[in-house]
Amino acid sequence: MSPKKQPNSKYKSTKIKAKKTSGKRSSKSEAKLLPRGFKSLEKWVDMWVLADSQARTEQRHAVDYQDINAFYDDMLAKADKALALLNTLQLGELDSAEERLLKLMLSLAEIGPSVEWYQQNAVVDGFEPDRFKLTVQLPDNVAQGL
Amino acid sequence: MNKRQPTFELTPADLTLRHPELGTGPVPTDMYWRPEFHDREMAAVYKRAWLCMGRVEQVAEAGEFFVKEIETFKMSVIVARAKDDKIRAFYNVCQHRGNHVELQSCGKADGFVCPFHGWSYSLDGRLAGVPDQRAFYDLDKSQKGLPEINLDIWEGFIFINFDEKPEQTLAEFLGQQGADLAGYPFHKGTEIFEYEGLIKCNWKCMVDSFCETYHVPILHARSVTDTLASPENPHGRLIDIRLKGPHRTQSVWGNTSYVPNPVQGLAFANAPGPSITSGSVDQQTELPKGLNETRAENWSIDVTVFFPNWIIVMGTGMYFTHQMWPVSSNEVIWQMRGFLRPATNAAQRFGQENSMVELRDAVLEDCNTLERIQQSLDQGLLKEFIFHDHELALRHQYHVVKQWLSQYEEQA
Repeated sequence: MSPKKQPNSKYKSTKIKAKKTSGKRSSKSEAKLLPRGFKSLEKWVDMWVLADSQARTEQRHAVDYQDINAFYDDMLAKADKALALLNTLQLGELDSAEERLLKLMLSLAEIGPSVEWYQQNAVVDGFEPDRFKLTVQLPDNVAQGL
Repeated sequence: MNKRQPTFELTPADLTLRHPELGTGPVPTDMYWRPEFHDREMAAVYKRAWLCMGRVEQVAEAGEFFVKEIETFKMSVIVARAKDDKIRAFYNVCQHRGNHVELQSCGKADGFVCPFHGWSYSLDGRLAGVPDQRAFYDLDKSQKGLPEINLDIWEGFIFINFDEKPEQTLAEFLGQQGADLAGYPFHKGTEIFEYEGLIKCNWKCMVDSFCETYHVPILHARSVTDTLASPENPHGRLIDIRLKGPHRTQSVWGNTSYVPNPVQGLAFANAPGPSITSGSVDQQTELPKGLNETRAENWSIDVTVFFPNWIIVMGTGMYFTHQMWPVSSNEVIWQMRGFLRPATNAAQRFGQENSMVELRDAVLEDCNTLERIQQSLDQGLLKEFIFHDHELALRHQYHVVKQWLSQYEEQA
């Protein structure tokens, strides 16, 4: 017997390698960093377009709170417009600029409580995030419910 | 007449008095910190109760399997769907020399091959192949399959029981609590995230932390207080607590005047199906009998504890679970899983992330407190717990554990 193994789509344990900060991005050379109408958010691409949920959590605890606050303000100003666009798009079918916009919105979700609940990066009197790890995470841009 | 009056009229008082057998007095704390209780509980409770392992969707097709490492017993368990479509659980132990036959956490295979000497097992556990079998003396392959563990399924959740002859079937064990929640659309929560951590507290303290909302207006003042308390319900009183055998359900009051913060508001408007606390009364009519059983209009979520270590928190849309795996008298591995409905567009993915992040941040508020409680207990500085009327679930847990211990030890 020679069983062939292939990964199961659900409950795949994720090994997460997060970038603390992304210094140089190849995307910078691309013509369009974000969809038309979101130029004011381009300055946040390096800091907040990240690999996955775990990377976003790590980034939330790595950056200065001032950057969280400023990112929050800039994102909220454009969030309705961003969601209106994302609402018309299917996961798994986003082009790279649209995917970056989605990832900025997902970073907004990550830092929302920092601004709205805690006024600091971390949960106030919160358990160390490193001690409660994401072991299974939702992919950012993969069709769901299949 | 000097009967105690409720502080307000929205939620009931004297829930505890409905259960005179549980009393109203203080509860000794011994079982929450004395190390000898740990071993007794593992034998009397964890080796006898049905324990949830996962969902049938994890082994949707023949050949799919997952491996669950159960730190409580330092055991590795394989759950697999065989070609006969039956789901079985096995100890992950090669019957030759004891190595684990499967090292991956999940996958799809024709069977399992021990990476030590290559003994192979079929998906139904039978020993299929032994390299150089002729060199073994009197090897009866039919007697050397992977040891099977009792397994049964409730509403798509896979349970196992380590007792070779469980005293109750799964249906009997889940009893009225299981029956009353049947029909909840658990299978629709196909998009899953999971967090795991080791918390330095007794497993029962961890269970308790999700079973009362008396702490919500204080400990969670910065985060979720306004969803579960309000000037009308300043102390975060519950709608109801129902005890069903060893299990229990809290129906949690929700503030219908709650105004979400900006990010949460955007997420609510773009969530796949209603988020956990944003349902409407109309939707409740489709919910099973045991969810918001009193059909209260201010209902937000139900928290059901399936004894001993599995909690489901259910709203009208998503649900999430907590599972506690005791490691010692003052350590527990805590797994939190969220089950969300699929996003039908990219904006809904944002709603999912918000649900996950806010849930995680809110529960991170609980853990330092739990470790401080355990410190006080371990130092012998708190001899008894005094429970609020709406901490009835905590009182119930104490009595159920005590009952399981005494019943088991009397039999022994």
